[in-house]
Amino acid sequence: MTTTQTPLLNIKNLSVEFGSVGNPFRAVEGLDLTVQQGEIVGIVGESGSGKSVTMMAMMGLLEGQGRIVADDLTFDGKNLLTISGRDRRKIVGKDIAMIFQDPMTSLNPSYTVGYQIMEVLKVHQGLRGAALQARALELMELVEIPAAKTRLHAYPHQLSGGMSQRVMIAVALACNPKLLIADEPTTALDVTIQAQIMDLLVNLQKERNMALIMITHDLAVISEVAHRVAVMYAGQVVEIGKVPNLFRHPTHPYTEALLASIPEHSKGARRLSTLPGIVPGQYDRPKGCLLSPRCLYATEHCHQERPGMTQHDTGAVRCFYPLVDKEAV
Amino acid sequence: MSAVVLQAQDLTRHYEVSQGLFKPKAHVKALNGVSFSLSPGKTLAVVGESGCGKSTLARQLTLIEPPSAGSLILDGTDIAHADKAQLKAMRRKVQMVFQNPYASLNPRQKIGDQLGEPLAINSDLTKAEREEKVRAMMTRVGLRPEHYYRYPHMFSGGQRQRIAIARAMMLQPKIVVADEPTSALDVSIQAQVLNLFMDLQEEFQTAYVFISHNLSVVEHVADDLMVMYLGRAVEMGPKEVIYSRPMHPYTQALLSATPSVFAEDRSIKIKIQGELPSPLNPPTGCAFHKRCPYATSRCEQETPLLRALEGRDIACHHVETIPTNMA
Repeated sequence: MTTTQTPLLNIKNLSVEFGSVGNPFRAVEGLDLTVQQGEIVGIVGESGSGKSVTMMAMMGLLEGQGRIVADDLTFDGKNLLTISGRDRRKIVGKDIAMIFQDPMTSLNPSYTVGYQIMEVLKVHQGLRGAALQARALELMELVEIPAAKTRLHAYPHQLSGGMSQRVMIAVALACNPKLLIADEPTTALDVTIQAQIMDLLVNLQKERNMALIMITHDLAVISEVAHRVAVMYAGQVVEIGKVPNLFRHPTHPYTEALLASIPEHSKGARRLSTLPGIVPGQYDRPKGCLLSPRCLYATEHCHQERPGMTQHDTGAVRCFYPLVDKEAV
Repeated sequence: MSAVVLQAQDLTRHYEVSQGLFKPKAHVKALNGVSFSLSPGKTLAVVGESGCGKSTLARQLTLIEPPSAGSLILDGTDIAHADKAQLKAMRRKVQMVFQNPYASLNPRQKIGDQLGEPLAINSDLTKAEREEKVRAMMTRVGLRPEHYYRYPHMFSGGQRQRIAIARAMMLQPKIVVADEPTSALDVSIQAQVLNLFMDLQEEFQTAYVFISHNLSVVEHVADDLMVMYLGRAVEMGPKEVIYSRPMHPYTQALLSATPSVFAEDRSIKIKIQGELPSPLNPPTGCAFHKRCPYATSRCEQETPLLRALEGRDIACHHVETIPTNMA
């Protein structure tokens, strides 16, 4: 965050609301996020914390359902809040590409994978004929699919989960995007395949100096690849910081609790440390800090008032009483 | 090792698959001679990739399907020689918790009724006695009394998994087979559910067969570990022994592929290429040889058998020569 260059993606105070105007549900609230070129940013959080909705809002995929308000939503110098549908379609799928959690359902079962890769190239780059074929094959080879030439004619059901995810990556990379959003890209895969796909994504990211936003609920996956991580809870970013600082010395009680609940952290212990309760739903959001009913350190102040983001030297945290580094004290 | 509650010997299950009208039927060797034993209050964790036979094993253990070959002794009774009445009595001793709590509960039945059903079928208790037992179990797993009259859709994923666990524990089974019980849950909820599993085991001395692909969860819950590959156990032994020094290349690969928050602490990093081969057409010799960095021509021809080595059983021709140091 110390760099002065203009960020590739700049989100300031983004809120997304669903439901009626009188009784809205805020899925995302006051979210700030910047992503630089060539940076890997991780977004972690439990189900319903607003990770995916944030990205959908940014890509304009919530039209007609959610109300999106933001002070700033700029990608590569273009204001995504006021952009026309026509111009947006030129960016989405080309400069911003996305890969989804379940590769089996995000490919169209009725078309060959080759056709689906070529479709993108036709629409965005106007390639035709032999050049189109050659580029599709090149992409298949880029994502390390064995026997790429014959696989171009395969249907999605003929491929395994890992192979389908590779095809999805090929589709996403077809137009050399500046920003790739990966929404739980390996959750549906086995660990060995997960490792292969993560390696592939990180290598491609480095090679092309793309920005990569990784959305996941798996702290371990994110800690291995990301440069910076934003932790989300009930629609808010509660902590943002550099890796590995954030994992070594979490400053928000929620980050601390999340880390402590990973079995890896309680090696040898009979019981795992847990955060009591569940994420608040639509109708039971507390008045004060959203974590206050579950937080070990909550005071009266926390129950009454919602904290804002406070900057510190390695990131920012949304807490009145940020945790201090226990080793440093 | 005191009394053994479950003993499997060369447990095998083959399925016939039709390949077309005029083609001969093919055989999928889903489970290919697996042996182990389990004591009360202990947990055997079974790990491996999708398609390695973990779930087929669960189906054999819960008596949903009979094994094609091999013997299975449950609490002293061999299922091969058991008659119908004995089998029915045995099913009461083995219960199962499934992966997806959204699919494993009946959406049209109240929680109280779902939990009381095992008692209604398998015991002579009156309605009032059943309700009392159900309410006691609900408290035990951390559900509130008013949940008795609610339907599954009114609960979160973690609560549903608690209900599923309560249902499995209603008859105080000797063995609970848990097939990926936390993989559909968030980490903080996963920790709550794992703690519940451990508490119940301590209280009832239940034996668990814990099927999972998450090696960090397994490390927490297991006493013994069995690593499976294509229907066979490739490495098996006490958890501490295997985690401190994994010897089979596949175990090493699985462990090094597991992401970790403390990535820099990891001492072995071996990468394996490719994917699990089709069980319809398994490779000759060692099933792992096509992905193994240490494979030789011997591995292509000769199937390695499990043998005892340094406190564990392992199926690999070259364990002695491959690097296993985990300093």
